[in-house]
Amino acid sequence: MAQKNSSPWVDYVIFGLTVFLVFCLIFESFIDLPSLVAWLGRWHPLILHFPIVLLLMAAAIGLFNRIVPKLLLTIATLSALVTAITGFFLGTETVPKGDLILWHQWMGAGVAFLAVLWYWLSTNHLQQTYLVKGIQVILILLVGFTGHFGGMITHGEDFLAMPRSKKLEKIPENPLIYEHIVHRVLDNSCIGCHNPNKSKGELLMTSIGELIKGGESGPALVVGDPVNSELIRRLHLPMEDEEHMPPDGKKPLSDNEIQILERWIALGASDTLKLSDLDNSEPLAGMVKKMMEEGTSNSWAKLPKVADSTLQNLASDYVTIQRISSNSQALSISVFLPPDYDPKNITDLKRISNNIIELDLSGIPIGEKEMEFVAMCKNLEWLEVDRTPLTDTEFDKLKGLAQLRVLKAYETGITDKSVAVLKDFKGLKSLYLWETQISEVGFTELKEALPNLILDHGIDPELKREFIEKDTIVDSIQ
Amino acid sequence: MEEDKSKSENPLKVNRRHFFSQLSVGIGSLALGSLLIPDLFKGGKGPLASQPLGIPHFAPKAKRVIYLFQSGAPSQLESFDYKPTLTKRMGEDLPESIRNGQRLTGMTSGQDKFPLMPSAAKFAQHGKSGAWVSEFFPHIAKIADEICIVRSMHTEAINHDPAITFFQTGSQQSGRPSMGSWMSYGLGSENQNLPSFVVLTSRGKGNSQGLYSKLWSSGFLDSKHQGVLLRSGKDPVLYLNDPDGLSRSDKRHLLDHVSSLNKIHHVETGDDEIESRIAQYEMAYRMQMSVPDVMDIKKEPESIIKLYGEDSQVPGTYAANCLQARRLAESGVRFIQLYHQGWDQHGNLPNEMAGQAKDVDQASAALILDLKQRGMLEDTLVIWGGEFGRTNYCQGNFDPKNYGRDHHPRAFSIWMAGGGIKPGITYGETDEFGYNIVKNPVHINDFHATIMNNLGLDHEQLIYKYQGRRFRLTDVAGNVVNDILT
Repeated sequence: MAQKNSSPWVDYVIFGLTVFLVFCLIFESFIDLPSLVAWLGRWHPLILHFPIVLLLMAAAIGLFNRIVPKLLLTIATLSALVTAITGFFLGTETVPKGDLILWHQWMGAGVAFLAVLWYWLSTNHLQQTYLVKGIQVILILLVGFTGHFGGMITHGEDFLAMPRSKKLEKIPENPLIYEHIVHRVLDNSCIGCHNPNKSKGELLMTSIGELIKGGESGPALVVGDPVNSELIRRLHLPMEDEEHMPPDGKKPLSDNEIQILERWIALGASDTLKLSDLDNSEPLAGMVKKMMEEGTSNSWAKLPKVADSTLQNLASDYVTIQRISSNSQALSISVFLPPDYDPKNITDLKRISNNIIELDLSGIPIGEKEMEFVAMCKNLEWLEVDRTPLTDTEFDKLKGLAQLRVLKAYETGITDKSVAVLKDFKGLKSLYLWETQISEVGFTELKEALPNLILDHGIDPELKREFIEKDTIVDSIQ
Repeated sequence: MEEDKSKSENPLKVNRRHFFSQLSVGIGSLALGSLLIPDLFKGGKGPLASQPLGIPHFAPKAKRVIYLFQSGAPSQLESFDYKPTLTKRMGEDLPESIRNGQRLTGMTSGQDKFPLMPSAAKFAQHGKSGAWVSEFFPHIAKIADEICIVRSMHTEAINHDPAITFFQTGSQQSGRPSMGSWMSYGLGSENQNLPSFVVLTSRGKGNSQGLYSKLWSSGFLDSKHQGVLLRSGKDPVLYLNDPDGLSRSDKRHLLDHVSSLNKIHHVETGDDEIESRIAQYEMAYRMQMSVPDVMDIKKEPESIIKLYGEDSQVPGTYAANCLQARRLAESGVRFIQLYHQGWDQHGNLPNEMAGQAKDVDQASAALILDLKQRGMLEDTLVIWGGEFGRTNYCQGNFDPKNYGRDHHPRAFSIWMAGGGIKPGITYGETDEFGYNIVKNPVHINDFHATIMNNLGLDHEQLIYKYQGRRFRLTDVAGNVVNDILT
């Protein structure tokens, strides 16, 4: 009668928590959590270790026909309930819930309920029945699966798979369509199951030849004919369809990726085709560029975290700080001229310098101090310093900004001396130098050094003249 | 979130629905219920709940829009949709197989004949892209390689008011928020010292249709997202300057005091519009400093004035508004909406349209060139177009020198430039009569979806729940036109 010494309030607490968990699960879609409760959810990854250990221990003791200490079972049950409830809180932060989370949620709840049932049976002196044995076995299995699903949520679905060298190298500037684009798509989504180690449906997708050869369902690829290519047909099937690829539970291809595969097949599935071979009006060029751009936003994934509160503190009526997109650590900053300008308005942004991707300082009377700050923004891709009193001395500080894609420096005092700085921006795509002191010689030098650069130094003089002269509307009509 | 706060602070804001929803939680959750703020049965905001407002959903191609709206509907057949067949079959009746039951307006329903009328303006191909542009638009022709002409726009509306309301708000019936308000709501303000949505109007000599402030209304969105109409006269904003003897600090004290009184009133009534009002007073205070600076065209050099045309020195003209639009865009206004009235050529089309075109041609093209040399086409989307097209048959007397065209919703042309739109292409195609679309139709909903996409917004995710229904700019339709994106 060891059980008698547990006080009734423990039973009440367990009962209360169970009711609360049931309530949460039933009314899930109607609940908006206050931040305190959401914060409690953050403890889930810590607390969850207790029920795993305690329940496994209790179940193991039970299965070895020993008496399970009541205290152990009580603590295990309580921890299972608290874990399930905090887990539920944590889960509400993800909308909509994916399959993994749903499975994890219901199995986790199952663990908690089974533990409560066991607790209830044991308080009613039913320690050694087969029912209890069954519960113990199921608990062990369920704890294992719940834990595994939870692990997949935090560490990715394939965290238990054999480590595979994932090459996420940058797509080159002028990629080969098959090698750098198509193969990359296939590698990310298909080759995991269609490789020499694991040729599902007897299909290999590691080379164009293998694709044409095909598998059980015939050739996967018909050159020039995407409509009759099994590969494309399966990609387009509805998600519920048995034959849809990639199969249930795997991440489907994006629309853009599917279109790339289709268009590449339609154009003859060449392995030598390059992006530069494609005409500008060819849709494939646009799709490939889109994919390459998505690649760049991935590089922002490594940026340090910056809190909303930090951004709010640094922003003002004249300094607008925005995330480039939601959930991104990449920042876009625009500065407007306040009546009482002080370089501190800009240099205060030092704290977040690594996160700044776009910086607009147009029209601000910036000098050396501000440019020293700009030089610290190592990840800067877009810089506007037009309509500023900059000269070569300050401009020289920009040297180290290796990521620059767009630079606007028109209406500044820079001269040919700055051309040397500009020439080093190998990744620069567009440069605006209208109304500077840079000479024709300087422009030519720049164009030679950076052949891919779009250099704009004002409206074409010929065209400008046509605009500035009298209107040319045809009089004959009137 | 604001809303929740004010609800918990102000008992008057709890309505019957909140009461019942709280009651039902009360029963289930026992003591722990107090932990969960009872927003039960409010339905949540769907996936948007996890998408904070004021931030693009994904990295945007454009940060702002300049919409050059040509109110009254310029004829596509005298501008960008070249139809030589109309010359060959001039005067012939429009075949019924082409009209195919299209409804007519009251203005031509009485006509017993629908004689095909060719364009009075000659067409030529321009630029490397070989885009067809009529001689009415010689300057736009010169920038053909910078723009994307869409010849396959279509709408459901057949009269001006519903058509323009459709373009501006995504619905033919008035009451929904304007595009600019949606963008302000979804993206927030770029410059805190200026409104994020500004409207400029001008009027040509041609037959014009009314413009109403409902076109730039914020509808059910917070009124701070409403378009601010800048007047075309000497003072863009009336009473912007403080009266003599009132210093800036006196003004500050005045506003602080008014604001504290308003806050008391807000606590009493819980009316959110009071908070908007407080914010608007603050905005007006900041605009006293920012607007005169932005609107001061005198700072522009001679060469820029000439680029836009001499008109740009005359306040209230389309050219002046275009130059103004560029200055506003530079200062971080998200959505700059221009309207130029006078494009409703039911009669006297060749003359009137030539005049209208003269008003807008040079300044529109100059705006593109000016934005381009400042690198602003990289992140500014410019749109030029009217609310529908015009018929390929003649309205009124058949006179190739002086004819009219009625409203035509089935196909018309617009153009766009910059902000993630492919330059130097012509998209979509109409049949040889220019009546029906035969390739790549673009509906107004698709147009809205595309613009939102370029601004980094998923048109299916920017949702506002009002009166028990979820609203989007594109309502329940719209596909992004990927083919015209860079």
